[in-house]
Amino acid sequence: MRFSGLLVGMFFCITAVQGQVGKTTRPDTLYGSANEIIVTATRTEKKLGNVAVPVTLISSKQIAQAGSVRLADILQEQTGLFLTAGFGAGVQMQGLNPDYTLILLNGEPLVGRTAGILDLNRITVGNIKQIEIVKGPSSSLYGSEAMAGVINIITTAPKRNEFALSARYGSFNTSDINATYNYSKNKFSYQGFVNNYHTSGFSLRPNSQTSFVTPINRFTQQHQLGYQFSDKTKLSGSVRFNRERITNEIAVENNGVIVNSEGKESNNDANISASLTHRFNSSVKTNAKLYATTFTSEQELATSSGAPYTDYFKQRFLRFESQTDFSILKNIETSVGAGYLLDRANSTRYDKKESTKENAVGYAFFQSEWKPLDKLVIIGGARYDHNALFAAAFSPKLALKYTLTNNINFKASVGRGFKAPDFRQLYLNFTNTAAGGYSVFGAIEAQKIINALKGIGQIASVESDFYNLSALQPEFSTGYHASFDYTAAKKHTFSVGLFYNNINNLIDSRLVAYRTGGAQIFSYLNVKTAYTKGLEFNADYKIGKYYSVTSGYQFLLSGDASELDKIEQGKVFTRDNNGYSKRLSMSDYVGLPNRSKHQLNLKFQYQKNEAFASLRALYRSSWFVTDTDGNGLFNKNDAKATGFVQLNATVGLRTSKKITVQLGCNNMLNYKDPINMPNFFGRSGFVAINYSIKQSTEK
Amino acid sequence: MKKIIYALFAFLFFTACDKDDNTTKVDPVVSVTVTNLPADTIIGITPGVPPSGGMPFGAGKYTFFSLERGVVVPSSDSATNKWDIAFRGTAILTNSGNGGPGAGGAFVYIGLFNDLKTIPSDSTFRIENVPTSYAVPFGSNRGWYVYDGLNNLVTPIPGRVLVIRTATGKFAKVEILNYYKGGVTPAASASDIIKMRDQRYFTFRYSYQSNGTKSF
Repeated sequence: MRFSGLLVGMFFCITAVQGQVGKTTRPDTLYGSANEIIVTATRTEKKLGNVAVPVTLISSKQIAQAGSVRLADILQEQTGLFLTAGFGAGVQMQGLNPDYTLILLNGEPLVGRTAGILDLNRITVGNIKQIEIVKGPSSSLYGSEAMAGVINIITTAPKRNEFALSARYGSFNTSDINATYNYSKNKFSYQGFVNNYHTSGFSLRPNSQTSFVTPINRFTQQHQLGYQFSDKTKLSGSVRFNRERITNEIAVENNGVIVNSEGKESNNDANISASLTHRFNSSVKTNAKLYATTFTSEQELATSSGAPYTDYFKQRFLRFESQTDFSILKNIETSVGAGYLLDRANSTRYDKKESTKENAVGYAFFQSEWKPLDKLVIIGGARYDHNALFAAAFSPKLALKYTLTNNINFKASVGRGFKAPDFRQLYLNFTNTAAGGYSVFGAIEAQKIINALKGIGQIASVESDFYNLSALQPEFSTGYHASFDYTAAKKHTFSVGLFYNNINNLIDSRLVAYRTGGAQIFSYLNVKTAYTKGLEFNADYKIGKYYSVTSGYQFLLSGDASELDKIEQGKVFTRDNNGYSKRLSMSDYVGLPNRSKHQLNLKFQYQKNEAFASLRALYRSSWFVTDTDGNGLFNKNDAKATGFVQLNATVGLRTSKKITVQLGCNNMLNYKDPINMPNFFGRSGFVAINYSIKQSTEK
Repeated sequence: MKKIIYALFAFLFFTACDKDDNTTKVDPVVSVTVTNLPADTIIGITPGVPPSGGMPFGAGKYTFFSLERGVVVPSSDSATNKWDIAFRGTAILTNSGNGGPGAGGAFVYIGLFNDLKTIPSDSTFRIENVPTSYAVPFGSNRGWYVYDGLNNLVTPIPGRVLVIRTATGKFAKVEILNYYKGGVTPAASASDIIKMRDQRYFTFRYSYQSNGTKSF
């Protein structure tokens, strides 16, 4: 009965269409086999099974079968990744905030973060070949932002003549349409890709005028050109445009007065890259690439109180990088590289739109992979970043892989990563004209602005942290990782790993002054330390010819050593049931907020001939959200969001060589939490159709 | 002002201090809880938008309280020694310095109410020099409370005891328990209407030592 109820539920939640199905015809396994080629882990093409650092590979097939549309959809189903809400969907990795994960598209960084978050919904998965995720310190060769890890999105390469069209329609009037055209002849190849995504938005709060996910239209086009001069030399180029149009209806309440705002937001990003690769001989290869990207965000809101709000943000990023791989000695492969990047931003969020904020970074890196024994691989590397605005950063790493037996591998790595202060932390000049009227000023501006306000009598008092304001330093993290991989009967895989990240110099906002009238002024200081540590387990088990079960689990602990010290010294208090103060015990400390201790996923797949189905259960345990007892840290007395299970399912059928049909339902249990997860959809369904014509000969 | 009826409940009970009975002399000091003491509740919002306007305001009057007698003292008696402590929004005043004619004062003790059995002899009582400095430091995370600007909520910091010297030079200890009506802080997600309506109502417990010693 229960099962039929589920089916009925699925039927009802299906309101209609999706793509990418059947895009992949390679006979790959669903979860990256050891032979898959990956590039992110070592900056060179390597078989997944040979890589010494922990890396997760998400194949296009896995994306298609999950029915994912945006990057956020597929990442939220991965072990150890959590999506965060507010300023778009960010990803929390190994317990570190979204600010610390670098997002790459074909190896080039995406820019345009708001409050440190790059909205993962900006990225369509319609033309993705695979997603490579490198967690922890092994990502240190990627420079700033790659402190928690790197997510590298690899788009499909034009290899054969093909035309594919896919369309999907679902709940909340959500549609997603993809068209891909691949052309390859002789030395020339071209891929054109367009994606259009639309949703009418939804609101979880009844009677609310505000949609929590506002009506959005996203249009992406990407063109890739390749020219193979000879067997040894290849030139390739890529152009991508992404456009978002968002309709805003915002109701902000200030002291009981509701201010309604209506407006439009547009986000545009463009990426242009050119890459030249030359293979001198079998052991020396050089690549030079030039990359430019811009991100522009404009928001205009007309408010019912008459005060219009406009927000403008533009970031321009230019990078040149060259890398040479060579192996002169038989057992040693070496990569050396250097680059220069220029990062510029203009924004109304800073003092004025016209003044350009700029940072230039010159960097160099090297890495050697040494195979002293058949069973042992050792990787050493380092990167040096010379910053125009801050102190230089040096990030070394060391990793090893040891083959214990034919089916057991041991991997360990240690590395240091950093994140340079961003423009927001340096230059922000923001005053919330609604809630409470608080202001946030960047570290470079804060003293200047507050002193100016003081001069005209608008500062009531300054806090001690005002005097601690100084030039911000980069944040540093040292990470450790160790894991075992076990393969049984050549098809089942299990891995268990431990990780530990220790972060120093963490930048946090602090209250620095009060305005006359009581509004608070915040700025940024290097004040905190933090650690995250945990365990990650992944298993992939095949049952018979048609079924497979994969499972992943992450156990996560986090905290701040200085907070632990204070608790140990008995200087931290909370309240008992009567409201009286009591000393906080160590066991009541819960570490950093917004982190779940347990995360579990369990996925069942079925594939037989032309039919496939998958059922995915995702669980996350409760997480703390607000310090309600006023003691300045998070403990069991504070407010938390309850843990929940999300159940997603898809079924699909390849009805002919050209056509695949798919049905899906996400969040089948219809779990909602409007307070803590306002943009988490309730139950939603979709229908998708994929049509593709391929030329049979592979180029 | 007389129309305002103060809902004042005092719960009397004997505390663990009874143990001190063995040591003769010391009177049993009781702990008294006062709930819903209004402290200049909000009557309007200044015109404009934050940060220059849009701020809630009250009538600007302190609520005066006698720790000795456990009653609210009319504001007509503000220039007398009849009150020991006064509340206006998050500001707390003692009957001392330029705050009143009394011999009062205060300091903030970090620790537990029941652990403060004797006021250390080397303690320094601050006196009022408003608005420059208050005996009980004014502002978020300075004295007795922390203000969460994002959620617009005031929370008393646990483990803060206000050690009060009364208008007549006696001693008392006060623990602020809550800042909202009924002693319940609204949820962070509650509307500003509720947060504004229910704030500026103090719930606190205190012990008053009538014999003039510094022991409780």
